[in-house]
Formats: sequence, structure tokens, C-alpha cells
Amino acid sequence: MRAAWLAVLSLLLAAGAIAAYVLLIRVPLVRNHPEGYVVAFALALAVAILGVTRGRGRRWPAWIAVGVTGALVLAGGWFNFVIARVPGAAAAVRVGAPAPDFTLPDAGGRPVSLAEFRGKKPVVLVFYRGYW
Amino acid sequence: MAELQGLGAELSEAEKAGVEIVAVSPDPNEQSHKMAEGLHLGYRFLADRDLAVSRRYGLVHPRGGPNGEDVPRPATIVLDRDGVVRWVSVSRNFQVRPDPGDVLRAVRSL
Repeated sequence: MRAAWLAVLSLLLAAGAIAAYVLLIRVPLVRNHPEGYVVAFALALAVAILGVTRGRGRRWPAWIAVGVTGALVLAGGWFNFVIARVPGAAAAVRVGAPAPDFTLPDAGGRPVSLAEFRGKKPVVLVFYRGYW
Repeated sequence: MAELQGLGAELSEAEKAGVEIVAVSPDPNEQSHKMAEGLHLGYRFLADRDLAVSRRYGLVHPRGGPNGEDVPRPATIVLDRDGVVRWVSVSRNFQVRPDPGDVLRAVRSL
């Protein structure tokens, strides 16, 4: 196989992995297996290496693909396995214990207390930040 | 945000009326408000700008933010009608959140 084709295949695989992760972030199976994009980058790197070592014809596109996908493996791995790790510590809330009450402003600035829902509805409290 | 979108997608209209989804975040309120309107979510977005509530719940990740600031550990907590904690999930990787199906099973079992 031509080295340039393997380079294109490698880069498409890496770009596809990024696009799939961003577009399917709402799908729990995708969101909850972020190591999937690291694996896809590694596969793309393997294809690029194949281009450099076994491909016919011009090899420089395959070298570029090795550089790009290699950087993605490092960056993706660093992000997923180092940056995104949250240290484990015991939460102050325990199953079976009452949730501490609080009052915070809602999106309109009106103060809302957790106690408002007591005796009325179950509550799902979601502590979050940002995109995920 | 994606977690909230997923929860909304799995809830029927009747269930939306029967459960209160309260999102607590240090993100600026305007941002959350815009997001809520765009998604037509009936959630309450509460601003915990100084993380006082997150701290009381033991859910602060010290210096975990991109600029070394304190951030909340992503967590989902299900309370019954009496305000008693029935189900807790705290993420070990901030990209990973509980499956909406698991959260809703916890709500439905109340």
C-alpha cells in the first residue's frame, strides 16, 4: 500500500475519533469511556508507523501522520489519565443521612432553598462544572 | 452539561413534573441560564460561585481547575421526599458521569 494513503487513513482515524467524542458526548457509553479516544489515537499512530515502515512511494506524509498522531496519543493520554483524574475522598453526604440544607440563587437571581422541596418531590442534585 | 442533557432526554414529561433536578455549579449563572433555555430544560440552575455548598457536601477538588482554582468534584445525589440521601455517585474522572439510566432507576425506586 502507498505510504501516502496510510498517512491519510491515519489522520482520518484520529480526526474521526475527536469528532465522534465531541458529537456523542451526550451518549453515556461514549462519555463514560474517554480512554476510547486514546485507543483510537494509538491505532491511528500504528497505521502511520505502518506507512513509514512498509508503505510504497513518498514517505513524508506518513512521517507527518506519525508526528500528529503521536502528539495526540501523548496529549490525550495525559489529559485522560492525569489531568481528568479526581482524587477520591469521602463525600460529606452518606446514604441514609439527611442532605444538608442550603440556599443559592437560581438563574434569575431568586434564592432557592433545598428545604422547599421537602415533603413534595424527590430531588436529583447534580454538582457539575463545564462541558461534561 | 452533557450529563444534564442525558437526564432530560430519558425523563418522561410526567416524571419531569414529579422530580426536581437541581444543578449546582460555580459556572456563571448567565452561562447556565442560556444553556437551560436553549435546551428547554425544566431544571433549576443554582450558582455556587464560592463553592460554599460544594464544600459543605465534601465535594471540592482543591486546585483541580485549569488555572489551579478549586472546583467541585462532579457528583450526583438522589434525595427522597424527606430530603434523605438515597443514592450517591462521585466521579473519579471529571469526564465520566453516572449513566442517566442508573440515576433514574434510583429515583424510580423511591
